[in-house]
Amino acid sequence: MRKVFKIYRPFTHAGVLLAAQYRINFFFFILGDILRCFINYFLWHAVFTSGGEKTFAGFSETDMVVYIFISFLTSVIAYSDGSYAVGEEIRDGNIAMRMIKPIRFDLAFLFQELGERLITITLIFVPMMLGVEVYKFAVTGVIGFNILNFILYLFSLILAYLITFYFNVCYGYSAFILKNLWGANFLKDCIVGFLSGGVIPLAFLPPAVAVTLNLLPFASQTYIPVMMYVGMFDVPTIIYSFALQIFWLIFFIILQQIIWNACVKRMSVQGG
Amino acid sequence: MIYVENLKKEFKKTIKDPGLKGSIKSFFKPKNEIITAVNDISFHVPKGEILGFIGPNGAGKSTVIKMLTGILTPTSGKCEINGQIPYKNRKNYVKEIGVVFGQRTQLWWDLALRETYTVLKEIYEVDDENYKKRMAFLNEALELEDFITSPVRTLSLGQRMRADIAASLLHSPKVLFLDEPTIGLDVVVKDNIRKAIKAINEEENTTVILTTHDLQDVENLCNRIVMIDKGLKVFDGEVSDLKRRFGQARELNFVPENAESINDLDYKNEFLLNEDDLSVENNGVSVTVRFNSDMVSVEKMLNYTLSKTHVKDINVTDADIEEIIKGIYRSEVSLDA
Ligand SMILES: Nc1ncnc2c1ncn2[C@@H]1O[C@H](COP(=O)(O)OP(=O)(O)O)[C@@H](O)[C@H]1O
Ligand SMILES: [Mg+2]
Repeated sequence: MRKVFKIYRPFTHAGVLLAAQYRINFFFFILGDILRCFINYFLWHAVFTSGGEKTFAGFSETDMVVYIFISFLTSVIAYSDGSYAVGEEIRDGNIAMRMIKPIRFDLAFLFQELGERLITITLIFVPMMLGVEVYKFAVTGVIGFNILNFILYLFSLILAYLITFYFNVCYGYSAFILKNLWGANFLKDCIVGFLSGGVIPLAFLPPAVAVTLNLLPFASQTYIPVMMYVGMFDVPTIIYSFALQIFWLIFFIILQQIIWNACVKRMSVQGG
Repeated sequence: MIYVENLKKEFKKTIKDPGLKGSIKSFFKPKNEIITAVNDISFHVPKGEILGFIGPNGAGKSTVIKMLTGILTPTSGKCEINGQIPYKNRKNYVKEIGVVFGQRTQLWWDLALRETYTVLKEIYEVDDENYKKRMAFLNEALELEDFITSPVRTLSLGQRMRADIAASLLHSPKVLFLDEPTIGLDVVVKDNIRKAIKAINEEENTTVILTTHDLQDVENLCNRIVMIDKGLKVFDGEVSDLKRRFGQARELNFVPENAESINDLDYKNEFLLNEDDLSVENNGVSVTVRFNSDMVSVEKMLNYTLSKTHVKDINVTDADIEEIIKGIYRSEVSLDA
């Protein structure tokens, strides 16, 4: 484990350097995302004001606001470009440059991506968290910050990121079959965004649908961590949710390996 | 050291009719065509040798290198390097080899060159002391100092190639694969690269396999060459041998002062050679005469030309590889007959 870290750490370092080069890009990306977040907020605000009801499937307006911002934060952090990077390298044949090195691609991509996103994450995490807590305090008049929920959230968030990462790597490897991923990538992000509870809490959906979606890996990517944070899970549900997340992580790590092994055999690196 | 036996690689290619209709049709009912890029190639390379793999574009050189470096799995046949099979246990195998693809780079495009070397140092687990020694050696052979702190994307093609070669040698590999290491470089830079490769081979007894379509590369570098064309091996032997047997073709090019005077030249009747040994091409501006310098010396050819016409420009060049391959096929035909 120490050795793994030593070998792949330079990828993180390189990732940080790369990110520093494109910091303006990052800035605009995040700005766009934050804007979307506020639009979402005004929408729900309107729903709550016009509906006249105090709660909605167990969510008060305050809960909803917290949900919107925390799920946004979660999806920004547990986001992965993996599929894009992997797909692109396969398409243009540069994957060959990785194959001639004694490394595991998944780890190389993972550590590099962590580096690339380190700055963004630190820049956005603390202000958002503070913002949400201050809002809660302003509305309810009590300090609602719960350290236990926060720790559960962090664990769940890390798992969520890893699941998203490996899910995307699986998807990226399929570039062997679907040589061009551009259109499909966008569609995938939209679908995953909805199924993971990034748009509306899964609890709002008809029970049968919600139960099914809860089991799918997508819920593990956003919904579960957010519910940990807002403290809406009881203890059995928390344990069950962690188990589910770990199951999906292992599932995608193994799947990724299987797809890769199959791909290598039919690989046809083009050019050069 | 390196054994290659009956190596073969086929690619399946989907052929698509033009237009949207063609796309839709090929989506539902793809038509496949099998391309044999490498066809039944065998050779063996002892330790410390520099082997040149030469052939025209599309001959299958890169495909061979990709199989030898574990990137592609052969359709059939065997290859074994240092007792290992490249496409099995890739991660372990590539620790002992260095690879450069002239048309790609393994360097981090957006980072300072030095950063790539730091990443490689960790990947290959080179310790600090060895790394220092190694960088000093590579620095001397490839003169990296001037640009080691520059971002890779700002390097010239020649600098990038030197940097790439250094990157492939950082871990002291036993075998070095170079796919078209001189492609697109000018004469001086080509020469520098060749010298560096030679120096590394001599200093460390590194086995080198390089591909090229430039005869000069192999003349100056290789002990031995394997020539392939359309996936087939057409020659395996020493460079001098190839030259002696097939390298006699020369090309005379000149631009006459006035176009009329060309009519005074009658090479066919002057030298009485058949089509294979002498051919003339006149495009109205310049004239190209291909001839076999075994049958008629360069001096005679020049004398005759200059005695009959005044020229603005004239030069004689070596045969290029396509000509030599033609020569090989011709000699095979005549041997068969
Ligand atoms: N991935 C691929 N899919 C289909 N055909 C390929 C692929 N790679 C190479 N080829 C074909 O195989 C032949 C040999 O290619 P290559 O090994 O790149 O030649 P060289 O390096 O000698 O120029 C060419 O006809 C090329 O079009
Ligand atoms: Mg090539």
